[in-house]
Parts: sequence; C-alpha cells; structure tokens
Amino acid sequence: MNIDIVTESRSHRMVADNGEGVLLDRLRQGDEGTFDELVTRHHSALIRMALAYVADREVAKEVVQDTWMAVIDGLSRFEGRSSLRTWIFGIMIHKAKDRGVREKRHVNFSSFESVDDDNDEAVDPSRFHQSGEWAGHWAFPPQPWDDQTPEKLLSSQQAVTAMNRAIEALPQTLKNVLILRDVEGVEAKEACDILRITETNLYVRLHRARERVRQAVESYLEGRTPTV
Amino acid sequence: MVQEEGSAIVPEITCQEIVQWASAYLDEHVSDKQKRRIVLHLAICAGCETYIQQIATVRDAVQLLPKAEEQPSELHRLRQAFVARTHRSSSGS
Repeated sequence: MNIDIVTESRSHRMVADNGEGVLLDRLRQGDEGTFDELVTRHHSALIRMALAYVADREVAKEVVQDTWMAVIDGLSRFEGRSSLRTWIFGIMIHKAKDRGVREKRHVNFSSFESVDDDNDEAVDPSRFHQSGEWAGHWAFPPQPWDDQTPEKLLSSQQAVTAMNRAIEALPQTLKNVLILRDVEGVEAKEACDILRITETNLYVRLHRARERVRQAVESYLEGRTPTV
Repeated sequence: MVQEEGSAIVPEITCQEIVQWASAYLDEHVSDKQKRRIVLHLAICAGCETYIQQIATVRDAVQLLPKAEEQPSELHRLRQAFVARTHRSSSGS
C-alpha cells in the first residue's frame, strides 16, 4: 500500500484494531455521545499541556477550543496512522506554539524549543568529585528521604505546592515532556510521536525535569525555601 | 577489539553516569547490558541507590498530584459544530 507517512506521525502503527477504529467510526457517523466522551477524556489534559506553551490559562482554553474545532473539521481526513490522542495533541501543540509566538506572552529564550540546553548536566556537577580516583562519583550524595513515599509526600500541602511550583517553573521543553509522560502517563513511544522527538531526547529532557522536581522536594524536606 | 569470552571485566560506571541514566533505567528504557552495569553499581553505591529511589518517588508523586478536571465552557457550541460537520460529510457536500 502506497501511503503518505509524513503528515500524521512518524509512527506507522495502525491503531484501528485496539478499539479506536470503532470510536472513529462512531465519530464519523456523528454520534454525539462518542464525541462528548472524546472531549471529556482529553480536554483537561489538553489544557494542562497547552499551559506548557502559553502562559495564560484563558489563552490555553482558547487554544484547546480551537483544537476541538480543528478535530471536528479534520475527522473525515484522519486516517488512523497515529492514535487519535497523538493526532489531537499534535494539533493542539501546533496551535499553542503558533499562539505563543504570535502573542509573545512569555518570550524566554530558555523556554524555546531547542536542544542546545540538552547538554547541560541534570545534577549540579559540583556534587561529584572533579578529579582523582573518585572523579565522577558523589562528593555530596543525596541524603535519604527516610520513609517518604509518594503518598506521604502528597499528604503535605507544602510538598504539593513545592512540586507544582517546580513544574510551573520548568522551561517549555522540559515541561511538555514531564506533563505528557508523568502527569498524563503517556507511554514513551507515544510521547515521542506527539512531541516529534527521539526517545534519547525524551529521556534527557524527562530526567532533567524530574531532577528539578526532586530538588524542590529535597529543599522542602530540608526545610529550605525552594530555589526554583 | 577482540576480547576473550569470560575474561571481560564490567567497566566501571561513575555516579555521574548513573544519574544521567536514572529516568531511562526506572522506565526500563535501557539495554540489558546497560541495566546490568547500573544494577551492579547500585549494589555497592548507597548514594546512587538513594538518588534512584528519590527520582522514582518524584515520578510517582507527580503522577498522583491533584489534577483539575474541566469541560470546555462552550461544549454546546462544539457539539453543534460536530453534528453540523458530520452531517455535511455524510451528505457528501
């Protein structure tokens, strides 16, 4: 079969056999209940993700509203070569970037889509021995968080605030990865398809994002004011 | 480059390298060879074991953070557009 593989996704996966084909058929037949279900399933996540690109919540809502209109218009042309979610999120990102650039709401050079900063170390290099036999090994290792579990951490409003602030402060290229992978739980492969980045790139960014949140938690547990 | 079978020594991996691999390792996105090197390192390095645990805690906590659920304010308008569009498509115009 000679098909264009460029427009929708780099992924060649056919997703029609995992139930999405049925969903798509219903949408194309104009089933309002299925449309409501689709909107309910993705709307909040789209808003959270849009906020990685535009600073203003109202603008994010408009971007997502525009996205749904584009989805409605494009449904008949969608060929199912990526998952519906990948396609919808792709549309949203395109619109959000366009809106962000036009409005220059938060022009911040560290926030721009760039791989330049991917070479930076996730963890402060001064925490490791710089020379000698132990070069590259911990000089100042992290102190254990005792019996901190995710649930215990989340029972503290201060910890939740510290984490949310750290996520909020992330540059766009780290924030979109963390939101997709950890907040929304999107699998790595699909996250790469949505963001159009390689898995290597995904993990470099994801780890830097997680490390910044870890630092915020570390600061909170040590009773210091987070520096982010 | 030829190494005799069985005589190879697992190369030392630094803590700084472990840190870079932490997220990929936790999400099982490392090769078997890399995973073995990391596991061997973690067995003898309390600092890295602590670090990996902390990243895992952060990853899991972020996923559990309270999330605002919302519906579009103009769902009705979207629904109307959806119905209008699909009817137009099915009528072939």
